[in-house]
Amino acid sequence: MDESERDQSPTTQPDSYEAAVERLEEIIDRLDSGQAGLRETLDLCGEGKQLVTYCAGELDEVGAGLKELRLDDLAAKLDTASDVS
Amino acid sequence: MGEALEESRVAPERQAGPDLPGPFAVGTYARKLQGWMRERARVQLIGEVTGVGRSKVQAYFELRDGEGAIPCAIWLNDLEKAGLDGAGLRDGAEVVISGGLDYYPGGGQASPNFCFRATHVRLAGEGDLIARLEALRKQMRAEGLFELQKQLHRPVLPKAIGVVTAERGAARRDLLAALERRGWGGSLIWGFAPVQDRHAAPAIGMALQDLAARPEVEAIVVTRGGGSLADLWAFCDETLCRTVAMLRVPVISAVGHDRDSTLIDDVAAVACSTPTHAAEAAVPLDCLAARESLERSVVALRRAGEGAIGTRSRHLGALARGPARALQRERGKLNQKIREIRAAAERGLTDRSASQRRIGTVVLERARRRAVGADMDKRRDALHRAAVTLRAHEPERTLERGYALVEGEGGEPLTSAAEAGAAERISLRFSDGRVRARPEPDDAA
Repeated sequence: MDESERDQSPTTQPDSYEAAVERLEEIIDRLDSGQAGLRETLDLCGEGKQLVTYCAGELDEVGAGLKELRLDDLAAKLDTASDVS
Repeated sequence: MGEALEESRVAPERQAGPDLPGPFAVGTYARKLQGWMRERARVQLIGEVTGVGRSKVQAYFELRDGEGAIPCAIWLNDLEKAGLDGAGLRDGAEVVISGGLDYYPGGGQASPNFCFRATHVRLAGEGDLIARLEALRKQMRAEGLFELQKQLHRPVLPKAIGVVTAERGAARRDLLAALERRGWGGSLIWGFAPVQDRHAAPAIGMALQDLAARPEVEAIVVTRGGGSLADLWAFCDETLCRTVAMLRVPVISAVGHDRDSTLIDDVAAVACSTPTHAAEAAVPLDCLAARESLERSVVALRRAGEGAIGTRSRHLGALARGPARALQRERGKLNQKIREIRAAAERGLTDRSASQRRIGTVVLERARRRAVGADMDKRRDALHRAAVTLRAHEPERTLERGYALVEGEGGEPLTSAAEAGAAERISLRFSDGRVRARPEPDDAA
């Protein structure tokens, strides 16, 4: 992995939760294999921590408690807003 | 209708217009039309009953499906024979009617009326509905409508889900419970709609479209409890199912029970047997398990990072200590050699010293002997000479020459006349013995 790849890969935002988890599993498999050198290990750990942070954030977004909304109410609010404008 | 109609032709005025037969008297045309229609083939029709009304002698309604509708009428006595009098013929019922076209020409005061005159009616059986469902299924599959939804991406962790169901159905409760069990606490937008009458399919379709139009909605669940195929027929509505197929948001259907199969199940992205399964399909990720898995990942990453540094650090430390250890080892060896040499030297010195001492002793002894031997001879000679001299001066030698030695009573020599005169008794020692004597005062003195 050259310098530019190291700079880019950890900061790339995952496309989705599942993509993040898939990459995280790849990273852990690679680390568990014991074949990664020190530099690669540190890079993978850094990227893995960012992915964990992203996944934790995604889980937090749906962890605050179920919020129930009614389509009728949302439509009514939309109508009111359009009337005001 | 040709000949009779020709008889009713009214003499035409010569006016500009389309070049068509007639004009004919409308009443005659109407009666001819009635006859013509009644000659049409009698058939059976299947569809949903809507707009049921009754007069004194007949019931009238529309029979419709997604493609169109026909006004129908049935004499009340025929309805009674079919066993569907009273509430049997109701809006939303799927029925099979037998009959043919009819036309009432009306009269001076009465309005004309076209209808399908049913002489027999029965509620549609499972077989009727299945046959109709299969026809629809075949047609829509051929159009590729079953594949569109299945090609949509379904996120494992949607933030917002739409749900179309009855407001007071058990499905709503089951769905909520399943989502909470998975630890999912996102936004749930309810699109309540009737799920079993002629208004159901359009209302469900409208709710689906409204939900899909909201950008935050990532999946939609359509669900209702079990029932007969007739009860679930709204979910086989062709218009509804075509709407579902074209939505941009994946739809998860959970209509009826395991054995029930509606058309919406075919077009949906996922078909589930229960609302609980639908919840799991809408949120494939078990959030509680995912959090635990994430914690394990954190531990694995920390262990890998720390392990990589720690292992290498220890290795480097070992390498760094290597030269010092080698030096220490060599120094130890050197010290050992020094000790061995010193010990050997000490042993050699001791041996040499003892040997030298022995040699010295011998030499000294020899020297002493040499030295002592010469001196002794001299001394012996001197002694001999002294002894000779001494012997020459011994009193015995003098006594042998005729002298006598005067001694006191204690044997002490008395060397003067005064001493001898003062002593009471004296002894005269000769070479051959002693003579005691008593001194007498010297008168001459």
